[in-house]
Amino acid sequence: MVKSSKSRSNSAFYILLGVVAVAGIGALIFLSSRPREARSASPIDPTLPPVQSEGYVIGSATAPVEVTEFADFECPACERFASITEPDVRGRLVNTGTIRMRFIDYPLPMHHNTWNASRAAACANAQGKFWEMHDLIYANQDRWNGEATSNPDKVLKEIARQVPGLDQAKLDACVDSKEMQAKIQAHYNIAQQRQIGVTPTFYIGNTKFEGALSYDEFKKQVDIAAAAAPKSAPATGAESPAKGATPAAGKTKK
Amino acid sequence: MAIAVLALVGAFIGLYLTLYKLGVIGTLACSTIGNCETVQLSRWSTLLGVPVATWGVGYWVSVLAIAMAGLQERWAESPGLSLALCLLTGWGLLFSAWLTYLELYVIHAICIWCVTSAVLATLVFVLAFLDWRETGPARAG
Repeated sequence: MVKSSKSRSNSAFYILLGVVAVAGIGALIFLSSRPREARSASPIDPTLPPVQSEGYVIGSATAPVEVTEFADFECPACERFASITEPDVRGRLVNTGTIRMRFIDYPLPMHHNTWNASRAAACANAQGKFWEMHDLIYANQDRWNGEATSNPDKVLKEIARQVPGLDQAKLDACVDSKEMQAKIQAHYNIAQQRQIGVTPTFYIGNTKFEGALSYDEFKKQVDIAAAAAPKSAPATGAESPAKGATPAAGKTKK
Repeated sequence: MAIAVLALVGAFIGLYLTLYKLGVIGTLACSTIGNCETVQLSRWSTLLGVPVATWGVGYWVSVLAIAMAGLQERWAESPGLSLALCLLTGWGLLFSAWLTYLELYVIHAICIWCVTSAVLATLVFVLAFLDWRETGPARAG
């Protein structure tokens, strides 16, 4: 703002401002219309061993496509996916038998309380309540994350009280004992082995996607994977964990 | 005038990062230096439940509005406006410095858009300070 030149160059200034505005709007339109999968999608290394019984599974054992999600409970993008996209994924794809989902913990070092959340979820899983706890952990991320509390176990136990039918005393004892640490470490190792760099990362068919996908993008990739899946096989992809991934999958195959 | 143009550029950067946080933009255009998404997905990318980028949009629009007001005839001689702009951009500079510190020493990742915004915040403060020193204190005194 140079006042002495103001009156002389007002027109030029407004033209310049207009050019910047038009260029900015144009750049935003261009950047927002770029194909989302162009940078984040990559083929899965077929030499990696399949993910087998690890993680937590929801959905039909005979669903033609399995989606594996590597996620961190304290990661904001994972929370966004869980809160915004996942309800649609459950309602329209999981509950209709189109896919089943597998969740694998990848607690990132930068998140102070994420291991506590993973252990609490694993403790709920021991009572068959993983997905209920998963949803509540994400919905209450702002209450137990590293910025909110230095005693996350206390908050996570409180959150667990909202899970219907959960034996609270058992969960509390499980959380306090840290008995699920090895399980979470195993999940972490799986993600490390696959060089997962971003959370959430999804395996859909033979392709890896980094970042929180919108429902439309997710559905599109599921459709592609389903079209490529052999009709007789219960799941797709070289990494497909469906073959014997869960006891149910083994029993119901063919 | 330069402040207004820089503020408009800053507002577009903030808007871009906000659109990313809202999920409108799938992936960030990022140079090979640093990692924009690590920064934008970190827990420091929100403040009081609102994305930091959105606070940035508010900041830059405020700077733009004050700078534009200073170009109007009736406020052109107002020392208060120069002081307000100087204080606002000074606060913006401090906030940018804190964010840059977080990137370098806490998150250990650099977001080129955030760095660009920090450079703009520095330039805008320098310009606002020079303008205030030229007109503000003299008139006030």
